[in-house]
Amino acid sequence: MKSKIGIVIAREFKERVRKKSFIISTILMPVFMIAMMAVPSLMLMFSKGEKKEIAVVDNSGFIADKLVSSDEISYFVFDHDVDSARKMGDIYGILHIGDSILTNSSDIRLYANDAPSINVDEDISHQVSKIIENEKLKAYNIHDLDQILDEVKTEVSLRTFDNSDEGSSTSSLLSYIVGLIFSLLLYMFILLYGNMVMNSIIEEKTNRVLELMVSSIKPAQLMLGKIIGVGLVATVQILIWGVLIALASGLLIPALMPANVAADVAAINADPTAAISSNVDMVQALALFGNVGQIIHIFVIALLYLVGGFLFYAAIFVAIGAAVDNVQDASQFTGIAMFPIMAGLIISMSIANSPNSGLAFWTSMIPFTSPMVMMSRIAYNVPSWEVAVSLVVLFVSILAMIWMAAKVYRVGIFMYGKKPSLKEIVRWMKYK
Amino acid sequence: MEILRVENVSKQFANHKALDNVSLSIPQGSIYGLLGPNGAGKTTLIRIINHITAPDSGQVFLDQHPLTADDVYSIGYLPEERGLYKKMRVGEQAIFFARLKGLSHSEASTRLHQWFAHFGIEDWWGKKVEELSKGMAQKVQFITTVLHRPRLLIFDEPFSGFDPINANLLKDEILRLRDEGATVIFSTHNMASVEEICDHITLINKAHNILSGSVADVRRKYSSQRYRIVYSGDASRLAEALLGKAVILDESADDPQARAATLRLDNGVAARDIIPVVNDCVDIRSFAEYAPSMNEIFIQAVNDNNLITSTDKNNEI
Repeated sequence: MKSKIGIVIAREFKERVRKKSFIISTILMPVFMIAMMAVPSLMLMFSKGEKKEIAVVDNSGFIADKLVSSDEISYFVFDHDVDSARKMGDIYGILHIGDSILTNSSDIRLYANDAPSINVDEDISHQVSKIIENEKLKAYNIHDLDQILDEVKTEVSLRTFDNSDEGSSTSSLLSYIVGLIFSLLLYMFILLYGNMVMNSIIEEKTNRVLELMVSSIKPAQLMLGKIIGVGLVATVQILIWGVLIALASGLLIPALMPANVAADVAAINADPTAAISSNVDMVQALALFGNVGQIIHIFVIALLYLVGGFLFYAAIFVAIGAAVDNVQDASQFTGIAMFPIMAGLIISMSIANSPNSGLAFWTSMIPFTSPMVMMSRIAYNVPSWEVAVSLVVLFVSILAMIWMAAKVYRVGIFMYGKKPSLKEIVRWMKYK
Repeated sequence: MEILRVENVSKQFANHKALDNVSLSIPQGSIYGLLGPNGAGKTTLIRIINHITAPDSGQVFLDQHPLTADDVYSIGYLPEERGLYKKMRVGEQAIFFARLKGLSHSEASTRLHQWFAHFGIEDWWGKKVEELSKGMAQKVQFITTVLHRPRLLIFDEPFSGFDPINANLLKDEILRLRDEGATVIFSTHNMASVEEICDHITLINKAHNILSGSVADVRRKYSSQRYRIVYSGDASRLAEALLGKAVILDESADDPQARAATLRLDNGVAARDIIPVVNDCVDIRSFAEYAPSMNEIFIQAVNDNNLITSTDKNNEI
């Protein structure tokens, strides 16, 4: 009997893994993700091409020569009056600084020939404010002012440590991103593979293979075989991605890292409280990706929730697939199943502010939302007992869900032609 | 000896009764035809035998013990609603179904190649099912149904979708399987095939078993007291002369020199009493016992039954 499930699993698995779409999506997904990360820097590189020229007409006389040009914006002093300057149409814009700028901070105007740009606005206001501040400070005649200003200049790099756990430092931004990626991944997986299970059941109904199948195998076994088969496909896909990411982080990142950053990463992996010189968030992110142990820990929990979330919702999708005749009819019911998935995703996105709030706690216990919410909380060092309880609740609910799905499946697969109501489906569960 | 027995099976669907107290007994080694008009309940009965639907009451016995789910998995069942996985290759799919029936991969492969060679369809092995026509797919389904050499085979409308040549091929295969010891139950509307291969039938009409038995017995029953006369002469004089002795079931007068009439003699009237009466009024060309075809028996039995049930209803009113 068990081997029959095995035969069904093997068929479901082989048929899907051999499909071109599977192979393409398995390879393309990581490429796509890397591309997503690379897009912002690429865009920056391309937008650098056009330099914005700004003519500065400075009536106050102390600002124009202190404006510093950058890769993006170049300032040049224009010694005529504003009206003639404004006749130049081939430059980005004309900055007119009034003579009362010291006393009236709004006595400054930018006449733009081109579309206004936030970057330019920010650069100008930032630079001019600094220059005016310095000018005002100078009025107090402080000795060695420049040196003092250089020395007092400070930018704090805040690192947060988990108080209960000596070993790890957490970056809230990093946790947020890791959590978000995981819950998005889960959301995608449940939808993608849940729908795959549902469609494979509807396909069997429309192909009329079912009656042939159930004369050889119990419907419950057939159903389990399908869920497990598709689940295995999902697992293989995650494992391939996991290996690719681990390879990338284990080999590529250390090789590409600048030496001082690499030193910081090594230091932080040895002693998380070590002082570091470069950007905190980046070093912590890199340290995390270079730290194979922690990656495996997160990966194992993520895998448990991926499998659990998939099984739980797959059972729901099985019941839907068995109850309807075609994909069109299914959409009404999938909408109901989608609701808690979406809710889980939204809660997990909003959780960053208070990862241990009551809402976060309870939604990570309820099996409808727990996979998504817990995934986004993992990076915040959730107490182990919470994870354990949530997993137990999830897997017990899975058993109950699959039992119900099997009931609906048994009755539903031979109901052709009529779309049942939700009430009827509930009644099917009571059939013997 | 009987292999399968259906005892007082009833099944009620939401707004109609599919089977009402149906019983039948299927002898070992027979080819058993399950006949009946559309919607009579044939498929429901077959589904009940295969444990796809549960009966409201009644029981099915295999070899004198109640039929269990595990017994069902050893039956070779070709459903009326049959299909294959469209995207899968033919050979692979056939092996998949054979393995579900308990054959090993190598055993399934050997037997399938024999069957494919037998039907001359070896080049279908690597094709996808969606490339096959309906009739071609039916052949593959037939092979997967009989591959594990079941003792009991159930075919629901096996001839639908086959051209006459392939229907003949299928008939020969069914006879061969019977000769090898299998018992075959099949449902059909195709009366010609019933005459050619069935040795037992049950006729189901409106959820009831209205006629059961060996084909020879059924024909004898429907040919008793039936005669066919070919004559030349006045049809109305003949009708008048036969009044009170026989009923004219069927008349044809295409050729006035050779009119034909089918008679059913009333009880207690013998052929030798009728011949002089007929001889007095018309010229007899031939006078012979009449053996109706299964098709005629089918139509007559169903019509008689419908008449009875409708008069029953009228009486109730």
